[in-house]
Amino acid sequence: MSLEDTTFQFKGQHWRLSAGRAIYWEEENALIVADLHVGKSAHFRKAGIAVPANIVQEDLYRLQQLITKYHPKQILIVGDMFHSSANNEVQYFKIWRQQFPHITFELIEGNHDILESSVYDDLQINLHQVLSLRNFYFVHDAEDKPSVLEGHYLISGHIHPGIRMIGAGRQSLRLPCFYFGMEGAVLPAFSGFTGLYSLHPEPDSAVFVIAEKKIFRI
Amino acid sequence: MKNTPGWQAIEQWLAAKELKPFTFQEEAWEHYLQGHSGLVNAPTGFGKTFSLFLGVVIRWMNEEPAYRSKTHNGLQLLWVTPLRALAKDIGRAMEEALHELHIPWKVGIRSGDTTTAVREQQKKQMPEILIITPESIHILLSQKEYASRFAGLHTVVVDEWHELIGSKRGVMVELGLSRLRGLNKGLQTWGISATIGNLEEALDVLMGFGGQQKAIVRADVHKAIDVQCILPDEIEKYPWAGHLGIRLLPKALSVILESNTTLLFTNTRSQSEIWYQQILKACPELAGAIALHHGSIDAELRIWVEEALHTGTLKLVVCTSSLDLGVDFRPVDTVIQVGSPKGVARFLQRAGRSGHRPDAVSKIWFLPTHSLELVEAAALKDAMAANMIESRMPVILAYDVLLQYLMTLGVSDGFNADEIWNEVKGTFCFRDLMPDEWQWILSFLTTGGEALYSYDEFHKLHKVGDHYHCVSRQQAMRHRLHIGTIVSDAMLKVRFMTGGYVGVIEEYFISRLTAGDSFSLGGQNLEFVMIKDMTVLVRKSKSKKSIVPSWNGGRMPLSANLGKMLRRKFHEAMAGTAQEEEILILQPLFDLQQLLSHIPKEDELLMEQIETQDGYHLFVYPFEGRLVHEVMAALLAWRISQRHPITFSIAMNDYGFELLSDQPIPVDDTNAQEYFSLENLNIDLQSSVNSTEMARRKFRDIAVIAGLVFQGFPGKAKANRHLQSSASLLFNVFNDYDSQNILLRQAFNEAFFYQMEEARLRESMDRIYHNKIVITFPQRLTPFCFPIKVDSLREQLTSEKLEDRIKKMTLFTYE
Repeated sequence: MSLEDTTFQFKGQHWRLSAGRAIYWEEENALIVADLHVGKSAHFRKAGIAVPANIVQEDLYRLQQLITKYHPKQILIVGDMFHSSANNEVQYFKIWRQQFPHITFELIEGNHDILESSVYDDLQINLHQVLSLRNFYFVHDAEDKPSVLEGHYLISGHIHPGIRMIGAGRQSLRLPCFYFGMEGAVLPAFSGFTGLYSLHPEPDSAVFVIAEKKIFRI
Repeated sequence: MKNTPGWQAIEQWLAAKELKPFTFQEEAWEHYLQGHSGLVNAPTGFGKTFSLFLGVVIRWMNEEPAYRSKTHNGLQLLWVTPLRALAKDIGRAMEEALHELHIPWKVGIRSGDTTTAVREQQKKQMPEILIITPESIHILLSQKEYASRFAGLHTVVVDEWHELIGSKRGVMVELGLSRLRGLNKGLQTWGISATIGNLEEALDVLMGFGGQQKAIVRADVHKAIDVQCILPDEIEKYPWAGHLGIRLLPKALSVILESNTTLLFTNTRSQSEIWYQQILKACPELAGAIALHHGSIDAELRIWVEEALHTGTLKLVVCTSSLDLGVDFRPVDTVIQVGSPKGVARFLQRAGRSGHRPDAVSKIWFLPTHSLELVEAAALKDAMAANMIESRMPVILAYDVLLQYLMTLGVSDGFNADEIWNEVKGTFCFRDLMPDEWQWILSFLTTGGEALYSYDEFHKLHKVGDHYHCVSRQQAMRHRLHIGTIVSDAMLKVRFMTGGYVGVIEEYFISRLTAGDSFSLGGQNLEFVMIKDMTVLVRKSKSKKSIVPSWNGGRMPLSANLGKMLRRKFHEAMAGTAQEEEILILQPLFDLQQLLSHIPKEDELLMEQIETQDGYHLFVYPFEGRLVHEVMAALLAWRISQRHPITFSIAMNDYGFELLSDQPIPVDDTNAQEYFSLENLNIDLQSSVNSTEMARRKFRDIAVIAGLVFQGFPGKAKANRHLQSSASLLFNVFNDYDSQNILLRQAFNEAFFYQMEEARLRESMDRIYHNKIVITFPQRLTPFCFPIKVDSLREQLTSEKLEDRIKKMTLFTYE
């Protein structure tokens, strides 16, 4: 079964929200992801913590599937693309990257992105502190938004959002989600090696939960 | 033996104090002098320390004519104690004796509290006697050239072995001993243990399979214990559920006021905070004569409380298991146990905290926190009379501890795999370790569990031939700071803005507070100001209302012995043959149960189907104790869920369990019995445990012990932000990407096999299968079901599709 998506018309744009934890923005031909944390398991393993080594392959394989599905001309990474200092997984990414020479990678720097700028050049990744496209303002951590938004809508990552759902019979579930609030949207973390932070949605927000390969608006 | 100069000297020394050795002490000395190993079974306060310590002294005096002048003899005796606080008192007693006997031996202490200066000194010259915790043994083993420190060591004594054997700290002792025996084949090992149900096994665990001569020496002392119940006046008005018991405070207070010094035991820290405050409110004149003692209170304050207990200046100490162990508090003459102690051994131990002289009577009051708990009081009394002391089941195949231990050896001098394999196989814990598991463990430490491939940069142990060692200084340092198996939640220090330390609190609790909220800790009302540098800053609160922190892990399961007795008492009560006042007083409650539902006879199993606004409840009452119920409930839920898609939330207590669903539960006279069938039991059990959170919860400790999760160090921020992850996340990751991981299997084994023996579950299932099943449909909640229903700690099990569940659910919001 392939990854489902759902089209969300919002602020005059078409956003395809994928259960693969990414958004395809039709008007801009852009695939948007956040918090890839490439190199995280390698960083742990280098420090002697034997987490499974194949997580990055699975993550990048999913990204590859999404690229094949949407054919974006650019990929916007809303921060934390790399987990820490350079390691062999970064090299693995470099080879993976060569499959898509015509796609540009635009990275909005996150708190984990601490590599030398020459490394990004080498990987053909364009680096941005923040990025403004149409009326949208991309920043890794929404807390770092500018004091005046001037009609821009924020799109961020960083917190690895999830929500808790409850039902009859004292049932409850915690699921990763896309969150569209009044001031901005938050993307779920892309990597499988990330936890969840429980959000408390404000009224009038739109929340889409990811249930394995499906996606639901709630 | 008695003619030897050492023995004579000891007898004379005792005689000068108008004392003579107890029979069991002489027996222990004889065994010891013959070179045997073994176990001394004696309660605290009867000279158990001297039964072994003096044996070592006698031998020294026999073998060393110049014993009065010979110093710097190197380590002779290693004395292992589970509690740092005990070390000081034991050391003091030993020093006193040595001084009077003119033996210039040094007695040292090695624990987490030992200062760096003292540690350095010990490095240069070991004292003749070192009192040490299990963790500190491993710390010593993690240091370069550790073997030279143990060069002359000939005897190890493990004190309070009953406290260690059932835990992973016991495994640390086993592994530590296996190495020390590897260094000295003739090492004599002795344990000291209070009475437990499996003393023989406790001896075997301590000895391992080295083939030394061994003996059990028993001190035949019987302690008179007087158990009383604090009974509510009107049982009809006493709550059906609850865990506080505060309503009986006035009655407890009169017991306290009539006594000299009282220890009031609660089962959780939050309970103790509440009791402390309520007592002060009810009886303000006790201020200054009452204190609080639990694991989250500043160590200095706890020491002060313990000393004040010694000198008799306190009227009352409200405490938790933090005072279960420890030195004698002679002034204590009364103990009150609030709520079920959950086990006979623990109840006896707590009772024994009062009347600590050999001839005195220990007096303990049982205070029930809800009405049905009175049956437990009656069960406890009977179990005590029948001397049904629980066994402490030794931990087996603790791969996490083994991983930690191998790393410990790796960071010191490294180890030879064959040599250590033989030693480890010789322990009780790892006697069934398979060669392929050993290989898996070695490869987990060298290649991180993966076949080597070009992208991997895993570094932990390096393998050269058959020798394994750690080359990273950074990892070695981090490992040394992480040695141990006591896993706690991330704790933060609590300090006043103006300075002054209050205690520690779980990060989990504080993260839910906002500035200005009031909470209580150490009996004080505090206002939360902010968190700064891993410290919670507070000021005194004027607010009348405050939140009492709930500490996790306060829930003890009922022991199998007490469960059995409890079932018998319930049947007596229900058959109307009970004589005890605790049970007679409950008659109105049983009448109501009969009116609303049914009272099961001994060969019946009662099930209640009740519909409330929460959904459809199925209550089942096997009276088998919480542990059996947890597994049985998951199994029943699993089997029902295989018929058609359904989701359950599961709760349980010591009497029964509940399955709750949003749809009617398809259990009736025609199929109920089949759900308890023994057919396919193993497969169904495996599936049911795997589909709940049980294994995940167990994984938490395993991940920390095996070195996969970094706990914060006291007072230090986490060393490396980029290496943070939670055990829960790791559990997901292993499940998804490496499901063959041996640590996952350990988590499953701990969730299931540690909780109970499979035989016991089979027995219960079989009994139920042949019982008559009575299903009732009460119109309202019954006295039996109420305590289960209000329990909020729940498991979930589902066979519905995730999307179907989501469609029925709504977003959770705070009201």
